[in-house]
Amino acid sequence: MSTVTSKISVRGLRKSFGANEVLKGLDVEIAEGEVVCVIGPSGSGKSTFLRCLNKLDDITSGTVIVDGFDLTDKTVNLNEVRQHIGMVFQHFNLFPHMTVLQNIMLAPVELKRGSKADARATALKLLERVGLADKADARPAQLSGGQKQRVAIARSLAVNPDIMLFDEATSALDPEMVGEVLQVIRDLAAEGMTMVVVTHEMGFAREVADRVIFMADGLVVEEGTPAELFGNPQHVRTQDFLSKVL
Amino acid sequence: MRKIHHSRAGKFALAATALVALAGGFVGVGAAAASTVSADTTGETYVIGTDTTFAPFEYREDGELTGIDMDLVRDIAASQGFSVEIKSLGFDAALQALQSNQVDGVIAGMSITDERQLIFDFSDPYFDSGVQMAVAEDNAEITGYDDLAGETVVAKRGSEGETFANSISAEYGFTVKALADSATMYDDVKAGNSVAVFDDYPVLAYGINQNNGLKSVTEKEQGSSYGFAVNKGQNPELLAAFNTGLAELKAGGEYQDILDKYLDAPAASSDTSFFGLLADSMPALMKGLGLTLLATGLSILIALVLGVLFGFFTVSESRILRGISTIYVSIFRGTPLLVQAFFFYFGLPQLTGQSIDVLTAGVLTLSLNAGAYMTEIVRGGIQSVDAGQTEAGRSLGLGYVTTMRRVVLPQAVKIMTPSFINQFVMTLKDTSLLAVIGFAELTYQGQQIYASNFRTGETLLIVAALYFIVINLLTMLSNKLDKRFNK
Repeated sequence: MSTVTSKISVRGLRKSFGANEVLKGLDVEIAEGEVVCVIGPSGSGKSTFLRCLNKLDDITSGTVIVDGFDLTDKTVNLNEVRQHIGMVFQHFNLFPHMTVLQNIMLAPVELKRGSKADARATALKLLERVGLADKADARPAQLSGGQKQRVAIARSLAVNPDIMLFDEATSALDPEMVGEVLQVIRDLAAEGMTMVVVTHEMGFAREVADRVIFMADGLVVEEGTPAELFGNPQHVRTQDFLSKVL
Repeated sequence: MRKIHHSRAGKFALAATALVALAGGFVGVGAAAASTVSADTTGETYVIGTDTTFAPFEYREDGELTGIDMDLVRDIAASQGFSVEIKSLGFDAALQALQSNQVDGVIAGMSITDERQLIFDFSDPYFDSGVQMAVAEDNAEITGYDDLAGETVVAKRGSEGETFANSISAEYGFTVKALADSATMYDDVKAGNSVAVFDDYPVLAYGINQNNGLKSVTEKEQGSSYGFAVNKGQNPELLAAFNTGLAELKAGGEYQDILDKYLDAPAASSDTSFFGLLADSMPALMKGLGLTLLATGLSILIALVLGVLFGFFTVSESRILRGISTIYVSIFRGTPLLVQAFFFYFGLPQLTGQSIDVLTAGVLTLSLNAGAYMTEIVRGGIQSVDAGQTEAGRSLGLGYVTTMRRVVLPQAVKIMTPSFINQFVMTLKDTSLLAVIGFAELTYQGQQIYASNFRTGETLLIVAALYFIVINLLTMLSNKLDKRFNK
C-alpha cells in the first residue's frame, strides 16, 4: 500500500501518562475507504491509539497525519480537523440535558453548517437511517443502550465526517443489543467510510474488516487480513490471545 | 477622605482667620475670634462615632438614637451651624474608627484620661461621672467591697469601671472579667456568673430605674469627666465649635434640661408585655432586616461573579490562573470572617489612608468570603460533569468555549444549584457578624434594643424568629425555582 494515498498515517507514535508509557512506537497506515479493526487484550493501548487519532489525548512523540493535517503541528486548527473525524464512545456520552434531535443538531448548528432547518432535516434523515425516527423528541435517559449508541453514531455523522472512530462501541451493551449497533457500522462500511474500530467482537472483525491489527503492550504485534490473522496467526502473543477469545 | 480635607481646610482657615484678624487690627476694625472659629464649621457635615448603647448617654428608642450625648452633640451642631452624621459603632470600634479617621469625632460617655489624651484631643469636660458597683437585686451577701474576696466581678472593656475595679482587685482579692457592653454585664450578674458589676454611675442608675434587676449597695467613687474627642491634631475647628456650643448651652440652661430629662425621670417603658416589646421593636428590626437583605443580595451577586471567574481559573489549563485561584480561595477560607471584617473596616483605611463606609466594607468582606466558597462550588460542579461529555463535544469539532457553554455548564449549574442555595443562606446568616463593625443590620438592631430595655432573652427570640422565617421562605422559594428550571 502506498503511503502517499494514506488517509491516516501514524509514524513512531509514543504516548506516556506520567511515567507510564502506554504506546511505545506505533507505525500504522490506513488507506481511504479501508475498515481497520484493532483487537488485543485490555491495557494493550488500543483505545489510547484511537484517541491519538483525533488528539483527544496529547501525543508525546511521533507524528499523526490525518487527511493531510499533521496533528502534532500546533498551528493546525484541531476543531477543523475533528469535523472530519467522527468518534463513537463505549459509554455513548450523549448530552443528557438535550433531546435526541438536539444532540444531533448541536454541532451542525454551532458550527454554522447551514440553517437550523437544514440541520433539523439532516438530523431526522440520520435518525431514520439508524432506525430511530420515532425517538427524535426523547431524552437519552429514555432510550435503551443500543438505541443510545445508534443516536451517538447519528450525532457523529451529522457533521459529515469522512473518517469514523469506534472505541469499543458495543462493550457496554446488553448482548441482545449488540447486533443492532453492529448493523449500523456494517452499513457504513458498505458505503465506503474509512473506519478504525477498536472491538472485542471477533466475529464482526472477521466479517467486516479489510485488515485486523493485533496490539499488545503498546505495540502492534501483528496485522493482516482477517483470514490471515484469525486463520493463521504468526505470533505467539496473537495465538495466545485468540485461543482465549475465540 | 473627608477627615483629611477637613483638617487641612481647617488649618488653612485658621491661618486665614489669624491674618484677617491681624489686618483688621491694623485698620482698627477688630474681629470677633469666637465667631470666626464657628464660621469654619458652618455648613459642614461631620461623622461622629458613638457607642451602640450606653444609656442614658446613647441608646435607641423606636429605632432612633437618643440620650444625653446625642442631644448635646445635636444641639451644639444646630447652634454652631454644622451637621452631624451619627455612627453607632460600639465603644471600642468607635475609638478604632477615630484613630483610622473613619469618623471625625467621638462622643461616647468617654472619660478623659492621660492615656487617651496621648492619642486624642479632648473638648472641655461635659459631664462629671464616677464608677459605682451594683449587685443582683436578690443578693443579700454583698454589701461592700470587703465581701468580694474570691469572687468574680465584671466591668466594661477599656472603661473607667475596669480601671477602678483593677485598681482595688488586689486589695479586696477578687477577679475582674471584661465584657463589651452594659446589657451583657448586667445579664452576667443576674445569671450569677459574676457577683457584681462596676459601671459608670449614670448608666447604672438609669438601668436600675429601668428595672434591670440590679441594685447599688455602695456610694459612687469620685470619678473622671467625660469629653468629646477628635483624633490628635485633626479637626481643631470641630473641637473649638463643640466647646463654644457647650458653653452656650450651659449658660442658656439647656444643658441642665438635657441632664434632667435623662437622669431625673427616666422614660418608663410603655408596654412591658411580650407583644408590647414585639410592637415596639418591629420598626427598628425591620430596618435592620432590610439592611441584612441588602448586604446579602449585593454580596451574593458579587460572590457569584467571583466564583464563576475563579472557578474557571481552577479548571483552566494555565498554571498561573490555577495558582491565582488557589491563593484567593486559601486566603479567604483560611481566615475567620470576623477578622476579615475588622481588616476591611479598620485595617485597610489605616494602610491606605482611604476611609471606607461600613456597608462597603461589609459587602466587600462577605462577597470576597462567599466568593471563595462559590469558587469551590463552581469547580466542583464543572468537575463533576463526566469527562466523556467534554470529549464528545470536542470530538464533534466544537471549541472549548462552545463545549463549556452548551454541554458542560448546563449540567454543572444543575449540580451546583443546591450548594448555591446553601451558600446564600450561609451568607445571609454571616451578615450578623457585621454587627461588630457597627453595620446596622438585624442582629445589631436587636442588640440595640435589649441594651436599652434589658430584655435580652425575648428580644433575641424575636430576632432569631425573624432570621428563621426569612431564611426558610427564601430557601423554599429557591428550591421551587431550582425544580422549575433544573428539572
